[in-house]
Amino acid sequence: MKMIRAIVRPETADNVADGLAESGFYSMTKMPVFGRGKQKGLTVGNTHYDELPKTLIIIVVEDKSVDEVLKIIQYKAYTGSEGDGKIFISPVEQVRTVRTGSNEL
Amino acid sequence: MKEIIAIIRPSKMNATKKSLDELNIPSVTAAPVSGRGHQRGLNPILTGIEISKDALLKGHITGMKFVPKRMLIIVAKDEDVDVIVDAIVKSNKTGYIGDGKIFICPTDNALRIRTNETGDVAL
Repeated sequence: MKMIRAIVRPETADNVADGLAESGFYSMTKMPVFGRGKQKGLTVGNTHYDELPKTLIIIVVEDKSVDEVLKIIQYKAYTGSEGDGKIFISPVEQVRTVRTGSNEL
Repeated sequence: MKEIIAIIRPSKMNATKKSLDELNIPSVTAAPVSGRGHQRGLNPILTGIEISKDALLKGHITGMKFVPKRMLIIVAKDEDVDVIVDAIVKSNKTGYIGDGKIFICPTDNALRIRTNETGDVAL
């Protein structure tokens, strides 16, 4: 199993969620975060914004679905300008559903 | 060393903290998140949730796409993982949908900033 953490623009987060749901990946967690990337934030006129609001989407999927999920997120979160976000993939060893106690997703 | 990511009901936060305290594992990071699972949020049609007549009359039957949850992050020694997971499951089980999920991820190292200790000592 892999955990996919995608940091996307808040305005595209709904698009990403809907796009994933269309392909059958309903389960996800999202949270508002602040961050910056390679461009060190954003400068508008005299004001420098060091931390920009983003949405962190966390999805845990089976290994075989990782590529599909990545493709959907990339397609739905893409605008072409700086600040579209990043996707991180990390391993998950074990999962437990609280209600049923099952070890499957 | 393992990272335990548990997504639970916000109302079960106190019970969970208490049961972790009893295990002598007080360190936890919590964050408010919103999420959904197999049931696609609180969808009245798909999950068969009972809706009050008042809400139906007002047309409030759209449910919720994302449900507010609390995310707990606990980094623990390998041998403590099972105990912690059991404690979280025990204090969060209500039997209804939305009880949450627990993910266990491998973690390489930890560092305590104040003392520069690394490894299990830093937890």
